[in-house]
Amino acid sequence: MPVQTTITAASAAPASAKPKRPIEILRERHGGMSKELKDYFNEQQKIYKALRAALASGPRTVPQLARECSLPSPVVMWHLMALRRYGEVLDGPEQNGYLLYTLKGA
Amino acid sequence: MADIRDRYDALVIGGGIAGMQAALDLGEQGFEVLLVERTPSIGGVMVGLNKVFPTLDCSSCICTPRMAESAHHPRIRLQTYTEVRRVDAVGTGFRVELDCKPRYLDEEACIGCDECELACPIEVPHEFDDGLGARRAIYIPHGNAIPQKAVLDVEHCIFCGKCERVCPTNCLDFTAQSRTVHVDVGAVIVATGFDILPMGAKPEYGGRLPNVMSPMAMERIQSSNGPYGRVLRPADGKIPRSIAYIQCAGSRDRSIGVPYCSRVCCMYALKQALLLRHYIHDVDVTLYYMDIRAFGKGYEQFYRRAVAEGVKVVKGKVARVTEAENFDLLLRVELLDEGGRVDEHRYDLVVLSQGLIPAWHADGIIDIEEDADGFVHTPEIKLNPSFTTMPGVFVGGVAAGPKDIPDAIVEAGEAAMAAANYLKRFRWRSRTPAAAVAV
Repeated sequence: MPVQTTITAASAAPASAKPKRPIEILRERHGGMSKELKDYFNEQQKIYKALRAALASGPRTVPQLARECSLPSPVVMWHLMALRRYGEVLDGPEQNGYLLYTLKGA
Repeated sequence: MADIRDRYDALVIGGGIAGMQAALDLGEQGFEVLLVERTPSIGGVMVGLNKVFPTLDCSSCICTPRMAESAHHPRIRLQTYTEVRRVDAVGTGFRVELDCKPRYLDEEACIGCDECELACPIEVPHEFDDGLGARRAIYIPHGNAIPQKAVLDVEHCIFCGKCERVCPTNCLDFTAQSRTVHVDVGAVIVATGFDILPMGAKPEYGGRLPNVMSPMAMERIQSSNGPYGRVLRPADGKIPRSIAYIQCAGSRDRSIGVPYCSRVCCMYALKQALLLRHYIHDVDVTLYYMDIRAFGKGYEQFYRRAVAEGVKVVKGKVARVTEAENFDLLLRVELLDEGGRVDEHRYDLVVLSQGLIPAWHADGIIDIEEDADGFVHTPEIKLNPSFTTMPGVFVGGVAAGPKDIPDAIVEAGEAAMAAANYLKRFRWRSRTPAAAVAV
């Protein structure tokens, strides 16, 4: 009498093959992260790092941050508002028609 | 939530204020309604507006009760993040093909806690804030969204899996895929609404410059849940002290294919201008217009109030907008009340009162005709304004042509009534009588 009557996919696979994690299945289905998205994400991380570093030394307006970080001010504005949206930055008093922004907890 | 049934009385396409109204009116009359919305939340444009004219009611405050009512109605099945791929006439009814997009989570299990969004490391421009604010790749559409469930934008996902690790209900399902669903209905209501004309449609108005804004962007900036928390310039965060509105920036203009009047631009511009005078006390706001069309109930009085409270209105045809130093804007205008004298003014911010264009086209989906401008053709516009060229298919709201919120609601109600008459005439039943009693 045979010990094993059916061969399932799992039992046929080599012992070393682990089942794929769902996030890996999603990544494969969408062909991984595109080069454009990788570049976008890396650039974004650099901008946040520069903004956090500048704000660590005190409150700043958008034009001040743009000068210190050598970034276009529309780029600073968008990323600063993203930091504000997710609770890292607070807006403070007005200075010559601009708001001063501070790092939360600084 | 139970899965979509295979038969309903009516399909309503579009979950904005018109679609919700039509669905509620049919539901209240005892009909079973499938309300399909393309985006992850119902509420349409109205839930993103700051205030409404002429009452200055908070727009989301009066829209969200209608959203909740639509979502919780026992005879309305809400289906968000779903597109109608095809509607074919079959007998007196219709066979509908739906494309249900995956949110990549179990909607039943998601509690809308936002933990996934807070853990997600990438930020992208948020459509709800006209791109001025940020959202993450996994996000809850906005604070008033219904359903209050997350959605994964897989195009911007970096596949880090952080959302899955922090989810307290383990609701993420990365293996989900879009699915095709077929439904039979007895009548269809098209309530697909509008888009704002693209900002670059008239390059001479500088629509691509950072401080030249669309009216929707200004709505979001003025909103208490807006991207900046107050009115600031997108280019550099300056508090604007001088703002110009260019009326008919994308309407009544054959050169861009929008020959019609969009009907709401005069009033939304006056409303935004008046509110700017409230939000920034020393602000100079000027509307450059061809004609002021304050045609609705209480609108003329609102126009006079805006002028009385310091909004300047100048009859003038703007020739071009260019950028000066520090992102300021130079506006060149022909002053029509001064014999056509050409003048140039400097502004901190310019808003283009863009016209309305259809957000959706029937082509390839439903065999109804459209007008040359792309809005749904209504052959019996005087006596049966919601009738389309196909019996059993009705239209409500801006899908049929530009109109304001009260008119969209009235017309959607009319579409619901016409659909109800059609269903009664052909004795369409989505359930057997016994099953209907059991509910």
